[in-house]
Amino acid sequence: MSIHLIKPSNRKSTTPKTLVSRDCGPAGCEVDWLTSRRLDTEDSIEAFTDFSLEQGWGDGLPLIPPTDARVRLFLSENDRYPDELIARMPDSSECTVEKIVINAVMAGAPADSLELIIAAIEAITEPDFELYGVNATTAPVYPGFIVNGPIRDALKIPYSYGCAGGVATKANAIGRAIRLIMRNVAGQVAGVTTQTTFGSPGRLGGLIMGEWEEKSPWAPLAERHAGIKGNAVTAFSTIGTMNILDTTSSGALAFLEMIGKSVSYAGANCFSPAMEFSEMTIGINPICAEIIARELPTIEDVQEVLWKYAAVPADWFQRLHLNQLEAQGRIREDGKIYATPEPKDVILFVCGGLGGLHALGLHSFGSSLAQTKEIATAAPAHEVQAAE
Amino acid sequence: MMARIKVLDPTANRSDDNASPGPDAGVLAGKRIGFRLDQIWRCWDLISENWAEKFRDAGAEVSFWRSTNRSGEEGEEQARSLDAWLKTIDVAVVGLANCGSCTGWTIRDAIAAANAGVATTAIATKNFEEFAHELAARGGRSGLRVHVLPYPLNELSREEVEPVAEAYFAGALEVMGASLSAQEKAA
Repeated sequence: MSIHLIKPSNRKSTTPKTLVSRDCGPAGCEVDWLTSRRLDTEDSIEAFTDFSLEQGWGDGLPLIPPTDARVRLFLSENDRYPDELIARMPDSSECTVEKIVINAVMAGAPADSLELIIAAIEAITEPDFELYGVNATTAPVYPGFIVNGPIRDALKIPYSYGCAGGVATKANAIGRAIRLIMRNVAGQVAGVTTQTTFGSPGRLGGLIMGEWEEKSPWAPLAERHAGIKGNAVTAFSTIGTMNILDTTSSGALAFLEMIGKSVSYAGANCFSPAMEFSEMTIGINPICAEIIARELPTIEDVQEVLWKYAAVPADWFQRLHLNQLEAQGRIREDGKIYATPEPKDVILFVCGGLGGLHALGLHSFGSSLAQTKEIATAAPAHEVQAAE
Repeated sequence: MMARIKVLDPTANRSDDNASPGPDAGVLAGKRIGFRLDQIWRCWDLISENWAEKFRDAGAEVSFWRSTNRSGEEGEEQARSLDAWLKTIDVAVVGLANCGSCTGWTIRDAIAAANAGVATTAIATKNFEEFAHELAARGGRSGLRVHVLPYPLNELSREEVEPVAEAYFAGALEVMGASLSAQEKAA
């Protein structure tokens, strides 16, 4: 058996700091220290939206013009310098605070979401997230985000009813801001720099939800995944949301059997010979979580049971598929192919409404590995300036 | 008349570029030629086998490096392994750009080879030709050599792929700036 197990690497993304005097504080001086090119356009949402599409900046929805005043105001409510380099994108383009803020302004994201957006960008640019493949692939993959900590309520990140989409909060604008950064900084443009065959609704507004950690029988995801308590965001790649309905089961094992079998289909990326390994993210609703935890109090046991069911018989595959899967050692002694190499690679979190009945499947792209980052606490720039 | 405003550009692109295709592969006899393979495209396995045989017949030494997953500990090992392999070859033939992420990695590895000073040609199928050039440009090597094979290709049987390998070999040599022997080069 030569199945390649998922072990995180020690590689770290390099984001050297850049530039200049900080004498004026994060709010800036009278002198111009925003370095982006300025373009002239008409002063209206409609005109700017058309302009943005002509420039290749837009996503088709109305956009707020990122004027100097709006960008500076957004910055002034945080304590980040605009030239600060947060990450290098796959093509080595620089994602600075300035570029993040410009896109966040365009999306209508609130100023107090900056640290969450920064943490999200830091997460997806970790080498193990494999953004190079996520960006370019023919798959409909996009980064999804699970938020832990008090910031969920402060930013109204949904984690209850409708958490995977459709709840009317500014979390939608935060998700959209990240998507605009993916487009304008990471250069993810369909048919040009991404070959996604179908794309996904998630490539417009993103997917950002919280974990209902108060209803979870287990430790919060960020703590389990990276040892981070409090405000944190976990980025994972997903090819979409998948609903799993179970109105019949009554016990932990029965629920987990349904979930495991439901996420296992031959054409899922995790069973493709093109991907030797994969993670799988699954949202369990609070009602089911409580039922499951009565029988399986430790999350590791839950993962193991679920993992055993998240497998397909090798004879589901045709010979050409099997040739490659066999070469990778993915056919186990029991004649099955498992969705993930090990139970730990099934990433579980608790979310959703209290009606129960459903679970949320979030298949991975494949080799992209979930990354968790702490979210820094922002202090308003004028306070920082005063302190300096 | 509507008022005018100035807006800030939300985009970022790297500004540097190397438009050079890099050195010609030259006379292949006596050279060390490396094929970069992947785990997906058996058509590229078949074509590289065919071409490797021709290179060996011409007096070249041939090696293969197979790309697997690029994340986690395995990805770290892949990066080390690629760097080490590039030091053992004079000419890189890097494939296969035949999907989105695989084009991404093909071009990324080809750029790594070209930046290491190795005479490098990336191999793409027709549907991914433009994408390969786009990624090469965004990766700072707009002049990267790209040889284009027909599409679809992987869906063909071995018997159907062999004629493609034969038909596109001369074109590969041309894009590589290569000749099999000094006599051919002189001719």
